[in-house]
Amino acid sequence: MKPFQYAAPRTVDSAVSLAADQGRFLAGGIDILGEMKDYIASPRLLVNVKDLPVTREITPGKESWTIGTNVTISEIEQHAELKRIFPGLQQAAAEVGSPQIRNVATVGGNLAQHSRCWYYRHRDIHCLKKGGDTCYAHDGENKYHSLFSGNPCISPVVSNLAIALAALDARAIVRRGREEVALSIADLYAKAWENPEAHNSLTGTDLILRVQIPDAGRRSAYQQVSEKASFDWALVSCAAAATVEGTKLSKVRVVLGAVAPIPWQVQAAHDFLEGKKLDDDVATQAAGIILKDATPREHNGYKVPIAQALIRRTLKQLVG
Amino acid sequence: MLSWPEKRDVIGQSTPRVDAPAKVTGAAKYSSDVQPEGWLYGMIYRSRWPAAKVTGINIEKAKQIPGIKAVVVERDGERTVRFYGEELAAVAGTSKQACLDALLVIEVEATPLPFVVKEEAARNPNSPRVWPDAANLPEPNVREKGDVDKAFAAAAAVVEGFFTTPTQLHQPLETHGNTVSVTYDGVTCWASTQGIFSVRDGLADYLEVPHEKVRVITDHMGGGFGAKFGPGAEGGLAGRLSKAAGAPVKLMLTRFDQSLAVGNRPSSFQQIKLGADADGKMVAFEMNSFGTAGIGAGASSAGGGGGAGFPAPYIYVVPNIRVKQSSVAINAGQARAFRAPGHPIASFGMESIVDELAVKLKMDPVELRLKNDPNKIRQREYAIGIEHFGWKQKYKPPGSSPGPIKVGVGCAGATWGGGGRGTQADVQINPDGSVEVRCGTQDLGTGTRTLVAVVAAEVFGLKPEQISARIGDTQFPPSGGSGGSTTAASVCPAIFDACTNALQDLQKKTGVADARGSNWSAACRKLGVNPLTSHGKWQEGLSSSGAGGVQFAEVEVDTETGFVKVRKILCVQDCGLIVDKLTCETQINGGVIMGLGYALYEERVMDSATGVVLNPNFETYKVPNFADVPEIEVILVDMPERGVIGVGEPATIPTAGAIANAVANALGVRVSSLPITPARVLAALGKVGKVGSKA
Ligand SMILES: Cc1cc2nc3c(=O)[nH]c(=O)nc-3n(C[C@H](O)[C@H](O)[C@H](O)COP(=O)(O)OP(=O)(O)OC[C@H]3O[C@@H](n4cnc5c(N)ncnc54)[C@H](O)[C@@H]3O)c2cc1C
Ligand code: SF4
Repeated sequence: MKPFQYAAPRTVDSAVSLAADQGRFLAGGIDILGEMKDYIASPRLLVNVKDLPVTREITPGKESWTIGTNVTISEIEQHAELKRIFPGLQQAAAEVGSPQIRNVATVGGNLAQHSRCWYYRHRDIHCLKKGGDTCYAHDGENKYHSLFSGNPCISPVVSNLAIALAALDARAIVRRGREEVALSIADLYAKAWENPEAHNSLTGTDLILRVQIPDAGRRSAYQQVSEKASFDWALVSCAAAATVEGTKLSKVRVVLGAVAPIPWQVQAAHDFLEGKKLDDDVATQAAGIILKDATPREHNGYKVPIAQALIRRTLKQLVG
Repeated sequence: MLSWPEKRDVIGQSTPRVDAPAKVTGAAKYSSDVQPEGWLYGMIYRSRWPAAKVTGINIEKAKQIPGIKAVVVERDGERTVRFYGEELAAVAGTSKQACLDALLVIEVEATPLPFVVKEEAARNPNSPRVWPDAANLPEPNVREKGDVDKAFAAAAAVVEGFFTTPTQLHQPLETHGNTVSVTYDGVTCWASTQGIFSVRDGLADYLEVPHEKVRVITDHMGGGFGAKFGPGAEGGLAGRLSKAAGAPVKLMLTRFDQSLAVGNRPSSFQQIKLGADADGKMVAFEMNSFGTAGIGAGASSAGGGGGAGFPAPYIYVVPNIRVKQSSVAINAGQARAFRAPGHPIASFGMESIVDELAVKLKMDPVELRLKNDPNKIRQREYAIGIEHFGWKQKYKPPGSSPGPIKVGVGCAGATWGGGGRGTQADVQINPDGSVEVRCGTQDLGTGTRTLVAVVAAEVFGLKPEQISARIGDTQFPPSGGSGGSTTAASVCPAIFDACTNALQDLQKKTGVADARGSNWSAACRKLGVNPLTSHGKWQEGLSSSGAGGVQFAEVEVDTETGFVKVRKILCVQDCGLIVDKLTCETQINGGVIMGLGYALYEERVMDSATGVVLNPNFETYKVPNFADVPEIEVILVDMPERGVIGVGEPATIPTAGAIANAVANALGVRVSSLPITPARVLAALGKVGKVGSKA
């Protein structure tokens, strides 16, 4: 780790202005300290955002719930009301890392975390994402990589929360310049689809303040498959949400994680599912639509059948 | 000749570790916890090239970093590095940060050379050579017996398979390293080692001082698994840094470094053909295999027990065999001995093909084993296992369980030498009745200190906690390294001999006819002011070698996601006289869990383009967590008549083979490569489309 300065501002304004000069936001530190120790990031200044006002609350509202950016993943996991209303979010939180990680990691940090590609994370490899000129994963060890990408970098989004929040139509309220903007989860990651150097759409001074989740009475679910039973990243994850009457679905969202630089959702699949009664056949057809454009590489083709199974199972869990 | 007592009060009981309270409270100081006055941090600068000609190393700037007290280069002059992570220089300073800063400013002049890090590529005669004067793939070792071709031609059933096993990394929770203090009077080394005397001798030779000038201390250490016998490059560098700085230097590897340069289990690629007659009697066996021990193969050093050869056809007796084995060199860290070197590799390939044969012959896999494995002990263990596991009820035709989540069972057997000799020990009995036993063995984490206390307590009629077992110091009478499952069989007889001598001396000196048990205090008081010391050494007749062991696995496999969950492992294990039932069982638990990691998760991933290890951490080098560990049932077959035999290694051998067979039984198709990941399960089921094709 290289030497750095540290600031703990008490206002959003000063946090944002401090970050402007080679600063990085620091929340739980799980991700950014790892990057610094491996010399992947060497910021001049760490701007601790944990002391910013009203960022640690989980607040119910008439139309939507608000979760402050500094709420920890454990707090989501253990919140009884959230679990009842947004079970998909709670399940996604419970699968993150280990209890120690969940106790420290925050919502904002989880959404804004950087690539876990093992080439990116290697201190001596300078790949495309770090400003180099090669994606080593392309023809290399790509078993954990994307099935879809709009650019040569095939590092997938791995935030569990992003996948669940996308299915719930959540918005991230972000301080951008002088304004607060409400980004859909799709917007939050859109830049990573096009730009190999981007991990998400945030600039260095964009500060996530909170997440808003509409309480539309929909059911939600989240499932993932990893190589190990616990404390392991998802090979593929899937979140779904819908209004359910009997087995009839409406306002459906199905989102895949760890298969693209963005939470992967396909409007045609949502349209297809709208108003349908869910059975095996319908679920399988939906999976087919969602995975239609998948481009497996040498070592990640297995993600396709896992994604198919997870789509079927997550949808079934909604009606079950 | 000495023999173990017929009636045993302490030996064979479940005695909790005598050092458990110290370990649980944190009072126990591991080698990496030691902090001698004025100690410095040490760190190693490693090659960033998988192969390069190094023409200069400039350490001047590193010396200028505040807090840095010494910088040394590993070797003077030009050199060729042969893998990413090879040691080039080392620094010592007053803080970890100072060392990290110093590493950043060491300048190395080097010309990169072509390299190869994958076994299959390295075999190609046109691939870059790891060693200029030797082909990467030397001529194979050939073993032949009988007439293989004729026997295959006459066989009623022939099966063939290609099996691969990964390079497995030693991942002790305490990384490799030492704290070394070099002074005018001599050298003290607190080592994380499984061989205090081999560290002593290695370090003394490296520093060119007489062996008696070096004292090695290992009170507690955090695992070695075969890779921690010598001081290592890190120990030698710590010694030189200490000398240069005039202060003790603690040089423990980082987890990143741990994955590069301090050992691994070689990989294997095994083409196997097995033939049997209609009754299931094996008649012919053929194997062509290769694997890599890193840069080890093709050079003089095969990594000390870490070569890529392994026993075949393992525990089975086949009259006609032809075996060709070779090691292929790649630009990667060298193999070292790894818990039961060769055997888990051998067991996985062989036990897999045996199950294939059973399927082809439509025979029960255990029955087929009983026909071809003549070992009496394993025969008995299979019989016990069949009963306890409920094998007859659980074994169903492959792939026959209904639904997407399929269950299956499998089994496999092990053999291991063990045994051991050569240990010496001293016993001191104090007038207040307290007892000190001193022995220059070390506790690799297996509970050696407890065994010492158990044996002494047995002889004196005392409780283990009344014995002070002092080990882990080269100033004590010599003992060997803890490898090959030899420690218990080497140490226990020496303790028994020393204590028997001490008891006789005590009785003679005090005139107490039987000083044991309730007479102990009174007898010792009669010693007056001088303690009594006696010596003893390993004796024939109290130990032997040759352990077996069989394991049964029950798994469930999700055929839609490829996820394997091991439900249960049953281990039926012999190891001669059981000294402490509890530490024996926990050794076996550890062996099974390590075997589980080998079966399902662990694999060093090398990158062809950059030559680095891509998973030098526990995030992507995956080892089992508690959630992955199944129910483990251990049935010990106590054979006191055989004396003490080690158990550390046999218990890890058959786990992967048993799990692989259970997975194949569940699926009806075989995953023939370890680790058995969801990707491989789905591929075996034919569910993974072609590369580049649209899903
Ligand atoms: C071994 C391991 C396993 C893991 N497994 C999983 C897993 O299975 N699933 C999963 O989802 N995650 C997993 N994680 C990732 C972990 O959840 C994230 O690293 C963590 O959530 C980051 O949160 P943090 O608060 O520590 O963020 P920090 O490390 O403090 O910050 C992370 C990034 O976000 C930025 N940032 C922080 N707060 C804000 C904000 N308010 N606005 C804008 N940017 C901000 C920082 O500048 C930094 O770039 C794992 C991590 C590890 C180390
Ligand atoms: S996938 Fe992206 S992060 Fe990984 S090597 Fe390629 S460019 Fe780098």
